[in-house]
Amino acid sequence: MPPFQSACAYADVPEGGVLAVNVDGVAVAIVHADDGVYAIFDECSHAAIALSEGDVDATGCEIECWLHGSRFDLRTGKPTNLPAYEPVPVYPCKLEGDTIVVDLENPFTDSEI
Amino acid sequence: MSLNNVVGAVETVKSHLHPVPSYDLADHPVPTGREEVWRFTPLKRLRGLLDGPQSDAHLKWDADVPEGVTVREISAHEAAELGETKPTDRPSALAIANGGSAVLVDIPAETQLVEPLLVRLSGSTPDDIVWGHIVVRIGRHAKATVVFEHNGSAIYGATTSVLVGDGAQLDFASLQLWEDDAVHLGQVGIRIGRDAQVRTFQASLGGDLIRIVENAEYDGPGGDLKMYGLYFVDAAQHIEHRLFVDHNAPHTKSNAVYKGGLQGNGAHSVWVGDVLIRKIAEGIETYETNRNLVLTDGCRADSVPNLEIETGEIVGAGHASATGRFDDEQLFYLQSRGISSDEARRLVVHGFFADIIRRIGIPEVEQRLLAAVEDELAQHVGAPLVGTA
Repeated sequence: MPPFQSACAYADVPEGGVLAVNVDGVAVAIVHADDGVYAIFDECSHAAIALSEGDVDATGCEIECWLHGSRFDLRTGKPTNLPAYEPVPVYPCKLEGDTIVVDLENPFTDSEI
Repeated sequence: MSLNNVVGAVETVKSHLHPVPSYDLADHPVPTGREEVWRFTPLKRLRGLLDGPQSDAHLKWDADVPEGVTVREISAHEAAELGETKPTDRPSALAIANGGSAVLVDIPAETQLVEPLLVRLSGSTPDDIVWGHIVVRIGRHAKATVVFEHNGSAIYGATTSVLVGDGAQLDFASLQLWEDDAVHLGQVGIRIGRDAQVRTFQASLGGDLIRIVENAEYDGPGGDLKMYGLYFVDAAQHIEHRLFVDHNAPHTKSNAVYKGGLQGNGAHSVWVGDVLIRKIAEGIETYETNRNLVLTDGCRADSVPNLEIETGEIVGAGHASATGRFDDEQLFYLQSRGISSDEARRLVVHGFFADIIRRIGIPEVEQRLLAAVEDELAQHVGAPLVGTA
C-alpha cells in the first residue's frame, strides 16, 4: 500500500474550515488553515469527540473540540489548553493534482516537531 | 405514612444513570456516545452491536450439566413469560429482539448441587455478530454454582437473566477469556428472592472490547448480594464494568469489590458502580469498592461510584475507589528482604488479585485465573522465579 492515500478533493475543504474524511478506515479531519492544509486524527484525546465537528482557528492554526473546549495545534497535534493533555496524531499531507493525499503510517512524532 | 404513599414516591425516581428497562428498541435509541451510560465506551469499536441484523448464529455450547439440572431452548416469548429481567440498553434489547430463541438453565427448587454447572461458550470468528439470550432460574431453597466461560473469538451481544428463588444460594461466575479480537457487550440482570444469598463473580481478561452491565434487584426483603470482579487490561484494550444495584426491598444487603490491573499504551478500564436506595428500602446495607493498579504509562482507568439515596433509614451505605501505581513502601520492604525488584512487583500484583480470586470458592476457576494473571504479568512485570502459585 502506498504511504500516501487519497483523502479528498482540495476544493471540498472550505477555506478556514474542516472536512471529516475516512481514509482506509481511519477518521481524519482535513483542515484548511491560513498557512496550508493539515490532516489530524478526528478524535479529541479527552472525551473522544470528533474534532471535525468543532471550530477552526485558521489564523492561529488550531482546531477546538466543541464539547469541553480543548484546542489542538494543527502542526503538532498537541493540546494548547485543558482538559485534554495528550496529543492527537497529525499526519503528513500534500496536494497531488486536485487531490489531498495523507500518509497515515507515518504520523509526526515529537522529535520531528 | 401508608404503604401506598411510599410506593408512589418510589415511582418518581428520575436518574440518567439507569435507563428504564424495556424490550422496545424505540426506548433504546442508537447512542451518540455522549449519554452518561455510553460516554466512556468507544462506539466505533462495537462492530455493529448497536444496530446488528437478525442472526441465528450461536456460540458453541459445551456444558457439564449435573443431574437434576435441565438446559433447553425456549422461545423469546417464553423467556419473557418466565419473568426475566428486561434489557436496559440497546445491545441487550437487540440480543433479545434479533437472537431468535433463548436458552433456559433450570435448577429446580430444593436442588443441592455438589458440582458446579460449567458452561463453556466459544466463538470461532470475529466477523459475524452472535446474539445470546440466556435465562438461569434457581428454584426456591436450591443451592448451586453456575459458571459461564467465554473463549475464542466473536462479536457477541448477550442478555442473561438470573432469577434466584426465595432462600436459594447461588454462586454465579462469568469469565471473559476471549481472544484479542473479540467484542462482548453483555447485560446480566439478577433478581434476588426473599432471604436468598447470591455471589457473582466477573473476570474480564481478554478481548478487544468488553462491556458488562450487571443489574441487580430484590424480590423481597432479606436478600444478600455480593459482587466481585477482576479485570486485566492490556494495550489498546477497553474493559468496562457497570453495576447497578436497585435496593427496592427493605432489609437487603449488597457489597461489591472490583479490582483491576492496567498495562500498556491505550489500556482503558471503566468501572461505574451505582446503587439506588429507594424510599421503601429501609434497613438496607450497601458498600462498593473499586481498586485499579496502573502498571505502566499510557493507561487510563475511569472509576465512578454513585449512590442515590431516597431514604436515610438504613444501616449503612458507602463506596470507595482508588487508582494508583505501585506502592513504593511495599516494594522497598520486599527488596529489603532480599527480593529482586521485578519479583517484588510481581508479588505485589499477585497479592492484589489473589485477594479477589480466593473468594470465588471454585478451585478449578481459582487456579485458572491465577495462571491467567501470571500470564498477563509476564508481559510487563516478569515471570515468577519459581512455578506459578
